[in-house]
Amino acid sequence: MKNPRNMTELFSKLNDLKSIFVYGQKIIPVIQSLIDFMKDTVPLLENINKSIDESTKKIPTAKDQLHNVSSATEMATTEILDRVDEIYEDLNASQQIINEISEKYSAKKDAYEKLKEHLKGDKKAFELLNELMKNGISEQLETLTTKINDIQDKTYHITLSLQVQDITSQQLEAVHHLIESVQYRLSSLITDLEDTEFNELEKSYKSKEITFDADASYEHEKENQKVADNLFGGKQVENASQSEIDKLFSGAK
Amino acid sequence: MKKVILIADDSPTIRKFITISLKMNGFDILSASDGMEALELLPKKKIDLVITDLNMPNVDGFELIKTIRENSEYKEVPIIILSSLDRKEDIQRGLSYGADSYLIKPFNQKVVLYEISKYIN
Repeated sequence: MKNPRNMTELFSKLNDLKSIFVYGQKIIPVIQSLIDFMKDTVPLLENINKSIDESTKKIPTAKDQLHNVSSATEMATTEILDRVDEIYEDLNASQQIINEISEKYSAKKDAYEKLKEHLKGDKKAFELLNELMKNGISEQLETLTTKINDIQDKTYHITLSLQVQDITSQQLEAVHHLIESVQYRLSSLITDLEDTEFNELEKSYKSKEITFDADASYEHEKENQKVADNLFGGKQVENASQSEIDKLFSGAK
Repeated sequence: MKKVILIADDSPTIRKFITISLKMNGFDILSASDGMEALELLPKKKIDLVITDLNMPNVDGFELIKTIRENSEYKEVPIIILSSLDRKEDIQRGLSYGADSYLIKPFNQKVVLYEISKYIN
């Protein structure tokens, strides 16, 4: 060794190298545990990915089922309303027949009254005529009219209750929209989803124009109707009398 | 001559329900599933009154009211809003766009008829 300084430097470097080895020995278990962790985590992540993928694939079925429920109730409600419409028409026809019978009976009654005057002298004929008059049908016709009005009123309440279909379909539409947005978010998390598939989903999510009121509720007495009445001129619509409505009916017919 | 009422609502059941009750009372009905269809139907007959929902696809109820009010031929036609939107801001918006009445769903047929009677008889 010609230069002791070089030797000192060499030993110093060897010491540094030794320190690195010592440090390496210390860090190896850390790296090992990191690798072990990765080994454990990767399948876990794959599972998560797979389960997101599976959940995302199930969402369209859920959406379809919701849509089917909505369509089925809409169809059933429309069918009921069609029948109700027919019932209304039958009732109107029945009422017209009753009115015609009533008019004919009134005419007959007038004729009987005139005949009575003529037969005053003939006791037997007068009694027979009175017997005929006694079996009048006015009361029965009135009862029939009342019954028809009752049926109309009950049918009207059925149609009123059917509005629940519109409210529930809006609520279902809100859930449908929520599911769709969850599907969109989940799909964007899936890394191994093919671009085309994702783009299709994105396109369908963005292109659908759905209208609904998520807060729609089936309450017959809405507090805010009073707010609307006040804003639109302060008219309390619930004070509308039947006679006022009847006037409208006759005016429009 | 029968009075003509135009109904714009995306719910077939609501359209059907209103049609039944108004037809029963002697009105002629034109029915549209959204605001766009309602605007297309407007020139087809002389419309005496419009009943419109607010949440509708393509052209919503607010846009429909605005368009009707901006058209010199139809600007006087009475408009009744029939909607499940019951927030004060929606009601105020309806008023500001030029609607004449605001009824909240579910509605009572008699109340609808009473509101109609304010504008046509």
